[in-house]
Amino acid sequence: MSPLLLQGIAGGIVSGCVYALIALSLVIVYKSSDVINFAGGELVMIGGYLGMFALLWLGLPYLLIFPFGALVIFVVGALFDRVVLTKVAGRSVHGQSVLVAMIIATVGLSYMLKGIVRVIPYTEEVRRLPPISSGTPIFVGPVVLQHQDIAIVLAAIAIMAALWAFFSFTMAGKALRATSQNPRAAALVGIPVRTMSMTAWGLAAALAGVSGILLAPKLLITPDMGVIVILALAAAIIGGFVSLPGCVAGGILLGVVQNMIGVYVSSRAISLAPFLVIMVVLLLRPQGLFAGRAVAKKV
Amino acid sequence: MYGAPPLRRLSLLLLLIAAGFALPLVLPQYFLYLGNFLMTFAVLALGLDLLLGWAGQFAFAHIAFFGIGVYATALLQARLGIPFIFGMPMAAMLAGFIGLLIGLPATRLRTVYLALATFAFAEAAQWVFNSWDKVTGGPDGLRIAAPDVFGYKLGTDPTAFPVVTIILAIMIAAAMYLTTSKFGRAMCAIRDSEHVAAASGINVRGTKAWAFAISAVYAGVAGGMYTLFQSFVNPDVFSFHQIVLLLSMIVVGGLGSLPGVLIGVGLLGLLPEIMRTSMRGLLVWQEFVYGVILILAMMFMPRGIWGFVRAWRGQ
Repeated sequence: MSPLLLQGIAGGIVSGCVYALIALSLVIVYKSSDVINFAGGELVMIGGYLGMFALLWLGLPYLLIFPFGALVIFVVGALFDRVVLTKVAGRSVHGQSVLVAMIIATVGLSYMLKGIVRVIPYTEEVRRLPPISSGTPIFVGPVVLQHQDIAIVLAAIAIMAALWAFFSFTMAGKALRATSQNPRAAALVGIPVRTMSMTAWGLAAALAGVSGILLAPKLLITPDMGVIVILALAAAIIGGFVSLPGCVAGGILLGVVQNMIGVYVSSRAISLAPFLVIMVVLLLRPQGLFAGRAVAKKV
Repeated sequence: MYGAPPLRRLSLLLLLIAAGFALPLVLPQYFLYLGNFLMTFAVLALGLDLLLGWAGQFAFAHIAFFGIGVYATALLQARLGIPFIFGMPMAAMLAGFIGLLIGLPATRLRTVYLALATFAFAEAAQWVFNSWDKVTGGPDGLRIAAPDVFGYKLGTDPTAFPVVTIILAIMIAAAMYLTTSKFGRAMCAIRDSEHVAAASGINVRGTKAWAFAISAVYAGVAGGMYTLFQSFVNPDVFSFHQIVLLLSMIVVGGLGSLPGVLIGVGLLGLLPEIMRTSMRGLLVWQEFVYGVILILAMMFMPRGIWGFVRAWRGQ
């Protein structure tokens, strides 16, 4: 294989890991409330700004800005679910329009977040965070790996492992899964369904925020950096939109495919790739690339 | 309410057309521009409401059909010399045809998946508008020649105003007939329950696909209207932001109700203007205020402003 190809794959895995994290955030929201979170990208953006704020103004050490950002955004997400979505969903208008209303509410949240950031004065200056770790790049055969990229991949793996452990072994994680599979049955066995939905939103928001901090050294932090959510959507759809491992595989696949298109087709076509992926996968394999059969609709 | 729409309502449309001819004599140019703009958005919103409010299909592709309408009308005139009066219906048919092509496979998908697939279609269409330099002019945009309607040169706000009003009136009348027809009832049945609709003998997929196509025709017509008073178009006009604006208009005004849609278009369309003129200092807050309005409307006015008005009048 040519070095260019290998380098492309390596780069694709790095960006794919971040897509996967944001996709996980979208899927956790979807599984808990049937809603596509159109504010997902803005939560990523807020994460980037919070990281910068903590680092430059509060003077926190680099490693602490992750829990700081995660905590603040957890509260934002949980509050949004508690205050807004519960109210919107509690209306007795028939099925579909409630869903539309909830999705529009997330669009409202995305405008609010973007609006707040634009009003804060220091956002006019475009910045990026210093790299998480720097040093001479590491050579693996013909491939050059930056410290920064390795740190991103390691952080993403750590977060994914933590999520997996949370959903598999902790009571709260199991309760979340039960609520997502069948809210009524979950309520019957004593799971506080509302608290679970808040937790899911908070968790998803925190994930998006942390991805924002991870991205901040690579991308410029701007109020519009939320457009990256489109790539996460595509990643989630490749994975079937309900499966967490599917998200991870989808994200990495998308990252690699994007780089391959960049190498072999044209750099302009890169931005079209996620949309084509979304349409083709939804029309031909709506259950995702990795699922064997269509997933049963939850009751 | 079924059968033909009441004459009283149709006669209101004549009043609208009369206003279309009278207002350019008295109003300053800026208001006429706003009027043209709002009326174009009203046609767009009516089309989206047929699909979302009546047929219950949550789709984001609408703005792409609007783009197809604008570019097709403008190019038919500029390249082939086809006058507006034929060019606009041709563009609308093209939008409708593409709508049908998209609608047939897309309507197999459930709500959220349909939203995502059509969202992707809209973004891909914008990419095409941006990248197909030879036809659309790419990001640099396309100049639109002043259209010719029965020998009258339009292209400015006062001259276009009456024509825009007439098209709006026709599209409103068409929506009235559509929603009170058998087809309209079929759409409602599908919105309320696909299973019940199928069990009562409604062709669910066919109806959905036609709803998609008709909604695209509305967007195509709106595209034609846009060329009447704008002399320039670039792909930014068809961004995701616009579809969100449209959705908010119909949801804040009142899904599935004609007056509600018109109220929503008027209100959210004028909001930025009101903020620009009377609350200059607050202009930077525009995006934030917009988000707050969306959220509050969803929380406290489930059926939109029109639903609120109706509930209040009923008591």
